[in-house]
Amino acid sequence: MSAFLTGAFLATLVAALFATRLYRLLMWYALNSLALGLLALLIGSGLNDPALIISGVLTLLLKAGVIPLVLKRLTQRFALTRQVTPDIKVHYAVVLIPAILVFTFYLAEPIGRMVGGNANSVAVAISSLFLALLLMMEHRNVAPKIIGFLMMENALFLLGTTATGGMPMLVELGIFFDLLIAIVVINLLFRREEAVE
Amino acid sequence: MIAYAVTILFLLLAAPLLTGVIKSLKMVLLYKRPVSVFQGYRTFSKLLVKETMLSAESSQITRVAPYLVLSPLLVALLFLPPAVSGAWYVSFVDAFTLTGLLSLSTFFLMLLGLDSASSFGGMGSSREAFIAAMVEPAMVLTVFSVSMMAGDLGVGAAGVNLAHRFPAGHTASFVFAAISFFILLIAENGRIPVDNPETHLELTMVHESMILDLSGFYLALIETAASVKFVIFASLFASLFMPFGLELPLLAAFGVFALKLLLIALAVALIEVNTAKLRLFKVPNLLGIAIVFSFLSLITFYVLGA
Repeated sequence: MSAFLTGAFLATLVAALFATRLYRLLMWYALNSLALGLLALLIGSGLNDPALIISGVLTLLLKAGVIPLVLKRLTQRFALTRQVTPDIKVHYAVVLIPAILVFTFYLAEPIGRMVGGNANSVAVAISSLFLALLLMMEHRNVAPKIIGFLMMENALFLLGTTATGGMPMLVELGIFFDLLIAIVVINLLFRREEAVE
Repeated sequence: MIAYAVTILFLLLAAPLLTGVIKSLKMVLLYKRPVSVFQGYRTFSKLLVKETMLSAESSQITRVAPYLVLSPLLVALLFLPPAVSGAWYVSFVDAFTLTGLLSLSTFFLMLLGLDSASSFGGMGSSREAFIAAMVEPAMVLTVFSVSMMAGDLGVGAAGVNLAHRFPAGHTASFVFAAISFFILLIAENGRIPVDNPETHLELTMVHESMILDLSGFYLALIETAASVKFVIFASLFASLFMPFGLELPLLAAFGVFALKLLLIALAVALIEVNTAKLRLFKVPNLLGIAIVFSFLSLITFYVLGA
Protein backbone atom coordinates (compact mmCIF):
# COMPACT_ATOMS: atom_id res chain seq x y z
CA MET A 1 0.00 0.00 0.00
CA SER A 2 2.80 2.38 0.89
CA ALA A 3 4.52 1.58 -2.41
CA PHE A 4 1.28 2.33 -4.25
CA LEU A 5 0.86 5.71 -2.53
CA THR A 6 4.46 6.67 -3.19
CA GLY A 7 3.89 5.69 -6.82
CA ALA A 8 0.71 7.79 -6.95
CA PHE A 9 2.65 10.74 -5.52
CA LEU A 10 5.20 10.54 -8.35
CA ALA A 11 2.54 9.79 -10.96
CA THR A 12 0.51 12.92 -10.18
CA LEU A 13 3.67 15.03 -10.33
CA VAL A 14 4.59 13.60 -13.74
CA ALA A 15 1.05 14.20 -14.98
CA ALA A 16 1.26 17.80 -13.72
CA LEU A 17 4.37 18.31 -15.84
CA PHE A 18 2.29 17.69 -18.96
CA ALA A 19 -0.75 19.73 -17.93
CA THR A 20 -1.57 22.77 -20.02
CA ARG A 21 -4.49 24.15 -18.04
CA LEU A 22 -4.26 25.85 -14.66
CA TYR A 23 -7.26 24.14 -13.06
CA ARG A 24 -5.98 20.76 -14.20
CA LEU A 25 -2.65 21.64 -12.60
CA LEU A 26 -4.44 22.49 -9.35
CA MET A 27 -6.26 19.15 -9.51
CA TRP A 28 -2.98 17.29 -9.89
CA TYR A 29 -1.57 19.25 -6.95
CA ALA A 30 -4.59 18.27 -4.83
CA LEU A 31 -4.21 14.60 -5.79
CA ASN A 32 -0.48 14.80 -5.07
CA SER A 33 -1.19 16.14 -1.60
CA LEU A 34 -3.90 13.52 -1.11
CA ALA A 35 -1.41 10.73 -1.77
CA LEU A 36 1.08 12.44 0.55
CA GLY A 37 -1.45 12.84 3.37
CA LEU A 38 -2.61 9.24 3.12
CA LEU A 39 1.00 8.10 3.14
CA ALA A 40 1.71 10.16 6.26
CA LEU A 41 -1.37 8.66 7.95
CA LEU A 42 -0.25 5.16 6.95
CA ILE A 43 3.29 5.62 8.24
CA GLY A 44 2.02 7.42 11.34
CA SER A 45 -0.37 4.64 12.26
CA GLY A 46 2.42 2.13 11.56
CA LEU A 47 4.80 3.92 13.92
CA ASN A 48 2.02 4.78 16.37
CA ASP A 49 3.11 8.39 16.25
CA PRO A 50 0.28 10.89 17.00
CA ALA A 51 2.32 13.85 15.73
CA LEU A 52 2.66 12.31 12.29
CA ILE A 53 -1.05 11.47 12.21
CA ILE A 54 -1.91 15.07 13.07
CA SER A 55 0.33 16.43 10.33
CA GLY A 56 -1.14 13.87 7.92
CA VAL A 57 -4.65 15.10 8.69
CA LEU A 58 -3.48 18.70 8.36
CA THR A 59 -1.94 17.84 4.99
CA LEU A 60 -5.20 16.30 3.82
CA LEU A 61 -7.25 19.27 4.97
CA LEU A 62 -4.95 22.13 3.98
CA LYS A 63 -2.99 20.96 0.97
CA ALA A 64 -5.56 18.69 -0.65
CA GLY A 65 -8.54 20.92 0.13
CA VAL A 66 -8.03 24.50 1.18
CA ILE A 67 -4.96 25.59 -0.78
CA PRO A 68 -6.18 24.41 -4.23
CA LEU A 69 -9.54 26.06 -3.60
CA VAL A 70 -7.94 29.30 -2.41
CA LEU A 71 -5.63 29.33 -5.42
CA LYS A 72 -8.58 28.73 -7.71
CA ARG A 73 -10.47 31.60 -6.09
CA LEU A 74 -7.46 33.90 -6.43
CA THR A 75 -7.07 32.92 -10.08
CA GLN A 76 -10.68 33.83 -10.67
CA ARG A 77 -10.48 37.08 -8.78
CA PHE A 78 -7.40 38.33 -10.61
CA ALA A 79 -8.51 36.81 -13.93
CA LEU A 80 -5.15 35.15 -14.54
CA THR A 81 -4.48 33.33 -17.79
CA ARG A 82 -5.64 29.77 -17.31
CA GLN A 83 -3.93 28.44 -20.39
CA VAL A 84 -0.41 27.69 -19.23
CA THR A 85 1.62 25.93 -21.89
CA PRO A 86 4.98 24.58 -20.75
CA ASP A 87 7.97 26.18 -22.44
CA ILE A 88 9.68 22.83 -22.82
CA LYS A 89 8.21 20.95 -25.78
CA VAL A 90 6.68 17.57 -25.14
CA HIS A 91 9.20 15.87 -27.42
CA TYR A 92 12.04 17.09 -25.24
CA ALA A 93 10.14 16.51 -22.00
CA VAL A 94 9.66 12.86 -22.96
CA VAL A 95 13.45 12.47 -22.97
CA LEU A 96 14.22 14.89 -20.16
CA ILE A 97 11.89 13.52 -17.48
CA PRO A 98 13.10 9.90 -17.67
CA ALA A 99 16.68 11.20 -17.69
CA ILE A 100 16.01 13.14 -14.48
CA LEU A 101 14.34 10.09 -12.96
CA VAL A 102 17.25 7.80 -13.74
CA PHE A 103 19.77 10.37 -12.53
CA THR A 104 18.00 11.01 -9.24
CA PHE A 105 17.24 7.36 -8.56
CA TYR A 106 20.94 6.60 -8.76
CA LEU A 107 21.75 9.78 -6.87
CA ALA A 108 19.49 8.69 -4.02
CA GLU A 109 20.99 5.23 -3.74
CA PRO A 110 23.66 5.99 -1.08
CA ILE A 111 21.18 8.04 0.94
CA GLY A 112 18.68 5.21 0.70
CA ARG A 113 21.29 2.77 1.99
CA MET A 114 21.89 5.10 4.93
CA VAL A 115 18.19 5.39 5.74
CA GLY A 116 17.40 1.72 5.50
CA GLY A 117 13.66 0.99 5.64
CA ASN A 118 12.05 3.47 3.29
CA ALA A 119 14.83 3.70 0.69
CA ASN A 120 12.31 3.80 -2.19
CA SER A 121 10.34 6.69 -0.79
CA VAL A 122 13.53 8.66 -0.26
CA ALA A 123 14.49 8.11 -3.89
CA VAL A 124 11.00 9.14 -5.03
CA ALA A 125 11.13 12.23 -2.80
CA ILE A 126 14.45 13.37 -4.23
CA SER A 127 13.33 12.80 -7.81
CA SER A 128 10.08 14.67 -7.09
CA LEU A 129 12.18 17.55 -5.80
CA PHE A 130 13.90 17.76 -9.18
CA LEU A 131 10.68 17.27 -11.15
CA ALA A 132 8.97 20.04 -9.16
CA LEU A 133 11.93 22.26 -9.98
CA LEU A 134 11.39 21.37 -13.64
CA LEU A 135 7.72 22.32 -13.24
CA MET A 136 8.80 25.73 -11.95
CA MET A 137 11.30 26.13 -14.75
CA GLU A 138 9.11 25.13 -17.65
CA HIS A 139 6.39 27.72 -17.02
CA ARG A 140 6.52 31.45 -17.56
CA ASN A 141 3.42 32.47 -15.60
CA VAL A 142 3.36 33.01 -11.86
CA ALA A 143 0.56 30.60 -10.94
CA PRO A 144 2.17 27.37 -12.26
CA LYS A 145 5.49 28.41 -10.71
CA ILE A 146 3.72 28.64 -7.38
CA ILE A 147 2.23 25.19 -7.84
CA GLY A 148 5.73 23.95 -8.61
CA PHE A 149 6.93 25.52 -5.38
CA LEU A 150 4.11 23.87 -3.41
CA MET A 151 4.89 20.52 -5.05
CA MET A 152 8.50 20.96 -4.02
CA GLU A 153 7.32 21.55 -0.47
CA ASN A 154 5.32 18.30 -0.73
CA ALA A 155 8.45 16.48 -1.86
CA LEU A 156 10.37 17.82 1.13
CA PHE A 157 7.57 16.71 3.44
CA LEU A 158 7.72 13.23 1.90
CA LEU A 159 11.50 13.19 2.38
CA GLY A 160 11.12 14.28 5.99
CA THR A 161 8.40 11.77 6.76
CA THR A 162 9.98 8.73 5.18
CA ALA A 163 13.66 9.34 5.86
CA THR A 164 13.34 10.17 9.53
CA GLY A 165 10.07 8.47 10.45
CA GLY A 166 8.43 11.81 11.19
CA MET A 167 10.02 15.12 12.02
CA PRO A 168 9.33 16.79 15.37
CA MET A 169 5.82 18.24 15.54
CA LEU A 170 7.15 21.76 15.98
CA VAL A 171 9.05 21.62 12.70
CA GLU A 172 6.03 20.35 10.82
CA LEU A 173 3.76 23.04 12.24
CA GLY A 174 6.42 25.58 11.33
CA ILE A 175 6.31 24.31 7.74
CA PHE A 176 2.55 24.68 7.67
CA PHE A 177 2.81 28.28 8.88
CA ASP A 178 5.43 28.88 6.21
CA LEU A 179 2.95 27.61 3.71
CA LEU A 180 0.26 30.00 4.90
CA ILE A 181 2.73 32.88 4.67
CA ALA A 182 3.55 31.68 1.17
CA ILE A 183 -0.13 31.89 0.26
CA VAL A 184 -0.24 35.48 1.51
CA VAL A 185 2.87 36.30 -0.53
CA ILE A 186 1.27 34.61 -3.54
CA ASN A 187 -1.74 36.85 -3.13
CA LEU A 188 0.56 39.88 -3.28
CA LEU A 189 2.36 38.45 -6.31
CA PHE A 190 -0.92 37.97 -8.10
CA ARG A 191 -1.85 41.57 -7.40
CA ARG A 192 1.50 42.64 -8.83
CA GLU A 193 1.02 40.59 -11.95
CA GLU A 194 -2.37 42.11 -12.38
CA ALA A 195 -0.84 45.56 -12.04
CA VAL A 196 1.83 44.75 -14.64
CA GLU A 197 -0.73 43.45 -17.09
CA MET B 1 -6.00 -27.32 -26.83
CA ILE B 2 -9.77 -26.99 -26.83
CA ALA B 3 -9.70 -24.10 -24.36
CA TYR B 4 -7.07 -22.36 -26.53
CA ALA B 5 -9.14 -22.71 -29.69
CA VAL B 6 -12.35 -21.74 -27.93
CA THR B 7 -10.72 -18.59 -26.47
CA ILE B 8 -9.54 -17.45 -29.89
CA LEU B 9 -12.91 -18.17 -31.48
CA PHE B 10 -14.63 -16.38 -28.63
CA LEU B 11 -12.41 -13.30 -29.02
CA LEU B 12 -12.90 -13.27 -32.77
CA LEU B 13 -16.66 -13.57 -32.49
CA ALA B 14 -16.96 -11.14 -29.60
CA ALA B 15 -14.90 -8.44 -31.32
CA PRO B 16 -17.78 -6.71 -33.16
CA LEU B 17 -19.98 -7.20 -30.10
CA LEU B 18 -17.50 -5.37 -27.86
CA THR B 19 -17.29 -2.31 -30.12
CA GLY B 20 -21.09 -2.46 -30.42
CA VAL B 21 -21.39 -2.47 -26.64
CA ILE B 22 -19.21 0.63 -26.39
CA LYS B 23 -21.29 2.39 -29.01
CA SER B 24 -24.64 1.62 -27.43
CA LEU B 25 -23.35 2.39 -23.91
CA LYS B 26 -22.23 5.78 -25.17
CA MET B 27 -25.64 6.42 -26.70
CA VAL B 28 -27.38 5.44 -23.46
CA LEU B 29 -25.10 7.76 -21.50
CA LEU B 30 -25.92 10.60 -23.90
CA TYR B 31 -29.69 9.95 -23.53
CA LYS B 32 -30.03 8.77 -27.12
CA ARG B 33 -31.94 5.69 -28.13
CA PRO B 34 -29.14 3.11 -28.39
CA VAL B 35 -28.42 1.06 -31.49
CA SER B 36 -28.45 -2.69 -31.03
CA VAL B 37 -25.23 -4.17 -29.66
CA PHE B 38 -25.32 -6.59 -32.60
CA GLN B 39 -25.07 -3.77 -35.15
CA GLY B 40 -21.48 -4.81 -35.94
CA TYR B 41 -22.59 -8.21 -37.23
CA ARG B 42 -25.39 -6.64 -39.28
CA THR B 43 -23.02 -4.15 -40.89
CA PHE B 44 -20.60 -6.96 -41.66
CA SER B 45 -23.19 -9.13 -43.38
CA LYS B 46 -24.58 -6.12 -45.25
CA LEU B 47 -21.12 -5.13 -46.51
CA LEU B 48 -20.51 -8.69 -47.74
CA VAL B 49 -23.38 -8.53 -50.23
CA LYS B 50 -22.61 -4.98 -51.36
CA GLU B 51 -20.72 -4.28 -54.56
CA THR B 52 -17.02 -3.47 -54.16
CA MET B 53 -16.03 -0.31 -55.97
CA LEU B 54 -12.43 0.71 -56.47
CA SER B 55 -11.09 4.13 -57.37
CA ALA B 56 -9.62 4.35 -60.88
CA GLU B 57 -6.41 5.82 -59.44
CA SER B 58 -5.84 2.99 -57.00
CA SER B 59 -3.17 0.40 -57.73
CA GLN B 60 -2.76 -3.24 -56.82
CA ILE B 61 -2.05 -2.22 -53.20
CA THR B 62 -5.69 -1.43 -52.53
CA ARG B 63 -6.62 -4.99 -53.50
CA VAL B 64 -3.97 -6.57 -51.28
CA ALA B 65 -3.68 -4.22 -48.31
CA PRO B 66 -7.01 -5.01 -46.58
CA TYR B 67 -5.94 -8.64 -46.18
CA LEU B 68 -2.55 -7.54 -44.91
CA VAL B 69 -4.19 -5.20 -42.41
CA LEU B 70 -6.29 -7.98 -40.97
CA SER B 71 -3.87 -10.91 -41.05
CA PRO B 72 -1.16 -9.64 -38.62
CA LEU B 73 -3.94 -8.98 -36.13
CA LEU B 74 -5.28 -12.50 -36.56
CA VAL B 75 -1.78 -13.84 -35.96
CA ALA B 76 -1.44 -11.65 -32.87
CA LEU B 77 -4.72 -13.11 -31.64
CA LEU B 78 -3.04 -16.52 -31.48
CA PHE B 79 -0.30 -15.20 -29.18
CA LEU B 80 -2.41 -13.67 -26.42
CA PRO B 81 -2.18 -14.85 -22.81
CA PRO B 82 -4.73 -17.57 -21.97
CA ALA B 83 -8.09 -16.76 -20.42
CA VAL B 84 -8.32 -19.93 -18.35
CA SER B 85 -5.64 -21.87 -16.52
CA GLY B 86 -4.46 -25.05 -18.19
CA ALA B 87 -5.10 -23.71 -21.66
CA TRP B 88 -2.35 -23.65 -24.24
CA TYR B 89 -0.39 -20.51 -24.84
CA VAL B 90 2.51 -19.49 -27.06
CA SER B 91 5.48 -18.88 -24.79
CA PHE B 92 8.13 -17.39 -27.10
CA VAL B 93 6.27 -14.25 -28.16
CA ASP B 94 7.57 -11.16 -26.38
CA ALA B 95 6.75 -7.44 -26.38
CA PHE B 96 8.66 -6.80 -29.60
CA THR B 97 6.85 -9.44 -31.63
CA LEU B 98 3.45 -8.31 -30.48
CA THR B 99 4.17 -4.63 -31.11
CA GLY B 100 5.73 -5.50 -34.44
CA LEU B 101 2.65 -7.38 -35.59
CA LEU B 102 0.38 -4.51 -34.59
CA SER B 103 2.57 -1.96 -36.37
CA LEU B 104 2.73 -4.14 -39.47
CA SER B 105 -1.02 -3.91 -39.63
CA THR B 106 -0.86 -0.14 -39.10
CA PHE B 107 1.76 0.14 -41.86
CA PHE B 108 -0.49 -1.50 -44.43
CA LEU B 109 -3.40 0.65 -43.27
CA MET B 110 -1.28 3.74 -43.94
CA LEU B 111 -0.30 2.41 -47.39
CA LEU B 112 -3.97 1.85 -48.11
CA GLY B 113 -4.74 5.43 -47.18
CA LEU B 114 -2.01 6.76 -49.47
CA ASP B 115 -2.93 4.51 -52.37
CA SER B 116 -6.41 5.90 -52.96
CA ALA B 117 -4.75 9.17 -54.10
CA SER B 118 -7.38 11.28 -52.40
CA SER B 119 -6.17 14.11 -50.22
CA PHE B 120 -8.07 12.74 -47.24
CA GLY B 121 -6.30 9.41 -47.35
CA GLY B 122 -2.85 10.95 -47.34
CA MET B 123 -3.77 13.26 -44.49
CA GLY B 124 -5.10 10.36 -42.45
CA SER B 125 -1.98 8.31 -43.13
CA SER B 126 0.33 11.11 -42.05
CA ARG B 127 -1.66 11.57 -38.84
CA GLU B 128 -1.64 7.85 -38.15
CA ALA B 129 2.13 7.75 -38.65
CA PHE B 130 2.48 10.69 -36.27
CA ILE B 131 0.51 8.84 -33.58
CA ALA B 132 2.00 5.39 -34.22
CA ALA B 133 5.54 6.71 -33.88
CA MET B 134 4.81 7.70 -30.29
CA VAL B 135 2.69 4.67 -29.44
CA GLU B 136 5.25 2.01 -30.32
CA PRO B 137 8.05 2.84 -27.87
CA ALA B 138 5.56 3.13 -25.03
CA MET B 139 3.93 -0.18 -25.99
CA VAL B 140 7.25 -2.05 -26.10
CA LEU B 141 8.37 -0.58 -22.77
CA THR B 142 5.06 -1.25 -21.00
CA VAL B 143 4.65 -4.85 -22.07
CA PHE B 144 8.34 -5.46 -21.45
CA SER B 145 8.15 -3.99 -17.96
CA VAL B 146 5.07 -5.98 -16.96
CA SER B 147 6.57 -9.19 -18.29
CA MET B 148 9.75 -8.47 -16.31
CA MET B 149 7.59 -8.19 -13.20
CA ALA B 150 5.98 -11.51 -14.03
CA GLY B 151 9.43 -13.05 -14.40
CA ASP B 152 9.01 -14.25 -17.97
CA LEU B 153 9.62 -12.27 -21.15
CA GLY B 154 6.98 -14.22 -23.05
CA VAL B 155 3.66 -12.39 -22.95
CA GLY B 156 1.58 -15.55 -22.62
CA ALA B 157 3.67 -16.93 -19.78
CA ALA B 158 3.66 -13.49 -18.14
CA GLY B 159 -0.13 -13.52 -18.01
CA VAL B 160 -0.16 -16.95 -16.38
CA ASN B 161 2.60 -16.05 -13.90
CA LEU B 162 0.88 -12.84 -12.85
CA ALA B 163 -2.34 -14.70 -12.15
CA HIS B 164 -0.61 -17.42 -10.14
CA ARG B 165 1.67 -15.24 -8.08
CA PHE B 166 0.88 -11.54 -8.13
CA PRO B 167 4.04 -9.42 -7.57
CA ALA B 168 2.67 -7.55 -4.55
CA GLY B 169 6.06 -5.91 -3.90
CA HIS B 170 5.94 -4.21 -7.29
CA THR B 171 2.55 -2.51 -7.03
CA ALA B 172 3.90 0.94 -7.90
CA SER B 173 5.55 -0.04 -11.18
CA PHE B 174 2.57 -2.29 -12.00
CA VAL B 175 0.18 0.67 -11.67
CA PHE B 176 2.45 2.89 -13.80
CA ALA B 177 2.46 0.24 -16.51
CA ALA B 178 -1.33 -0.11 -16.29
CA ILE B 179 -1.89 3.65 -16.71
CA SER B 180 0.46 3.72 -19.67
CA PHE B 181 -1.16 0.72 -21.31
CA PHE B 182 -4.65 2.14 -20.91
CA ILE B 183 -3.61 5.36 -22.67
CA LEU B 184 -2.16 3.21 -25.46
CA LEU B 185 -5.41 1.24 -25.66
CA ILE B 186 -7.27 4.48 -26.27
CA ALA B 187 -4.72 5.91 -28.69
CA GLU B 188 -4.17 2.83 -30.84
CA ASN B 189 -7.86 2.12 -31.26
CA GLY B 190 -8.74 5.66 -32.22
CA ARG B 191 -11.09 6.32 -29.32
CA ILE B 192 -12.14 9.81 -28.36
CA PRO B 193 -9.34 11.81 -26.78
CA VAL B 194 -7.18 10.88 -29.76
CA ASP B 195 -9.55 10.19 -32.66
CA ASN B 196 -13.30 10.16 -32.99
CA PRO B 197 -14.53 6.87 -34.48
CA GLU B 198 -17.92 8.28 -35.38
CA THR B 199 -17.52 11.50 -37.30
CA HIS B 200 -16.50 12.01 -40.87
CA LEU B 201 -15.32 15.52 -40.25
CA GLU B 202 -12.17 16.44 -42.11
CA LEU B 203 -10.54 18.18 -39.17
CA THR B 204 -10.90 15.37 -36.70
CA MET B 205 -10.63 12.04 -38.39
CA VAL B 206 -7.62 9.77 -38.51
CA HIS B 207 -8.74 6.21 -39.00
CA GLU B 208 -11.90 7.02 -40.94
CA SER B 209 -10.11 9.16 -43.50
CA MET B 210 -7.77 6.34 -44.49
CA ILE B 211 -10.66 4.02 -45.28
CA LEU B 212 -12.90 6.61 -46.87
CA ASP B 213 -12.54 5.21 -50.39
CA LEU B 214 -13.18 1.58 -49.51
CA SER B 215 -16.45 -0.21 -50.01
CA GLY B 216 -18.03 -3.63 -49.87
CA PHE B 217 -15.89 -6.59 -48.91
CA TYR B 218 -12.71 -4.57 -48.34
CA LEU B 219 -14.50 -2.23 -45.96
CA ALA B 220 -15.86 -5.25 -44.08
CA LEU B 221 -12.29 -6.55 -43.72
CA ILE B 222 -11.00 -3.24 -42.41
CA GLU B 223 -13.87 -2.81 -39.95
CA THR B 224 -13.26 -6.33 -38.68
CA ALA B 225 -9.59 -5.46 -38.31
CA ALA B 226 -10.49 -2.40 -36.22
CA SER B 227 -12.68 -4.40 -33.86
CA VAL B 228 -10.15 -7.26 -33.65
CA LYS B 229 -7.48 -4.73 -32.73
CA PHE B 230 -9.65 -3.42 -29.92
CA VAL B 231 -10.29 -6.93 -28.64
CA ILE B 232 -6.56 -7.69 -28.72
CA PHE B 233 -5.79 -4.64 -26.62
CA ALA B 234 -8.70 -5.27 -24.26
CA SER B 235 -7.74 -8.89 -23.74
CA LEU B 236 -4.07 -7.95 -23.18
CA PHE B 237 -5.17 -5.41 -20.59
CA ALA B 238 -7.51 -7.94 -18.98
CA SER B 239 -4.88 -10.68 -18.66
CA LEU B 240 -1.83 -8.54 -17.85
CA PHE B 241 -3.31 -5.83 -15.65
CA MET B 242 -6.32 -7.55 -14.09
CA PRO B 243 -4.64 -10.86 -13.32
CA PHE B 244 -7.26 -12.77 -11.35
CA GLY B 245 -9.91 -15.37 -11.91
CA LEU B 246 -7.72 -17.72 -13.92
CA GLU B 247 -7.86 -20.45 -11.28
CA LEU B 248 -11.65 -20.73 -11.26
CA PRO B 249 -13.42 -23.67 -12.94
CA LEU B 250 -13.43 -23.47 -16.73
CA LEU B 251 -16.80 -21.82 -17.32
CA ALA B 252 -16.48 -19.40 -14.41
CA ALA B 253 -13.04 -18.36 -15.62
CA PHE B 254 -14.47 -17.64 -19.06
CA GLY B 255 -17.28 -15.65 -17.46
CA VAL B 256 -14.81 -13.59 -15.42
CA PHE B 257 -12.75 -12.95 -18.54
CA ALA B 258 -15.82 -11.76 -20.46
CA LEU B 259 -16.77 -9.54 -17.52
CA LYS B 260 -13.30 -7.99 -17.54
CA LEU B 261 -13.65 -7.22 -21.25
CA LEU B 262 -17.05 -5.60 -20.58
CA LEU B 263 -15.53 -3.57 -17.75
CA ILE B 264 -12.86 -2.22 -20.10
CA ALA B 265 -15.56 -1.39 -22.65
CA LEU B 266 -17.47 0.47 -19.94
CA ALA B 267 -14.35 2.42 -18.93
CA VAL B 268 -13.67 3.40 -22.54
CA ALA B 269 -17.30 4.46 -23.05
CA LEU B 270 -17.22 6.60 -19.89
CA ILE B 271 -14.00 8.30 -20.99
CA GLU B 272 -15.44 8.90 -24.46
CA VAL B 273 -18.55 10.54 -23.05
CA ASN B 274 -16.70 12.68 -20.52
CA THR B 275 -13.79 14.06 -22.52
CA ALA B 276 -13.50 16.22 -25.58
CA LYS B 277 -11.34 15.18 -28.47
CA LEU B 278 -7.82 16.53 -28.24
CA ARG B 279 -6.42 18.75 -30.93
CA LEU B 280 -4.03 16.71 -33.05
CA PHE B 281 -0.99 18.63 -31.85
CA LYS B 282 -2.06 18.05 -28.24
CA VAL B 283 -2.07 14.28 -28.77
CA PRO B 284 1.70 14.04 -28.10
CA ASN B 285 1.02 15.39 -24.59
CA LEU B 286 -1.15 12.37 -23.84
CA LEU B 287 1.23 9.95 -25.52
CA GLY B 288 4.16 11.64 -23.82
CA ILE B 289 2.53 10.79 -20.51
CA ALA B 290 2.22 7.20 -21.72
CA ILE B 291 5.91 7.03 -22.70
CA VAL B 292 7.09 8.62 -19.47
CA PHE B 293 4.92 6.31 -17.40
CA SER B 294 6.11 3.22 -19.21
CA PHE B 295 9.70 4.29 -18.67
CA LEU B 296 8.93 5.18 -15.07
CA SER B 297 7.49 1.73 -14.55
CA LEU B 298 10.60 0.06 -15.94
CA ILE B 299 13.03 2.25 -14.00
CA THR B 300 11.05 1.95 -10.76
CA PHE B 301 11.09 -1.80 -11.16
CA TYR B 302 14.80 -1.95 -11.95
CA VAL B 303 16.36 0.62 -9.67
CA LEU B 304 13.98 0.73 -6.75
CA GLY B 305 12.47 -2.73 -7.00
CA ALA B 306 9.07 -1.28 -6.11
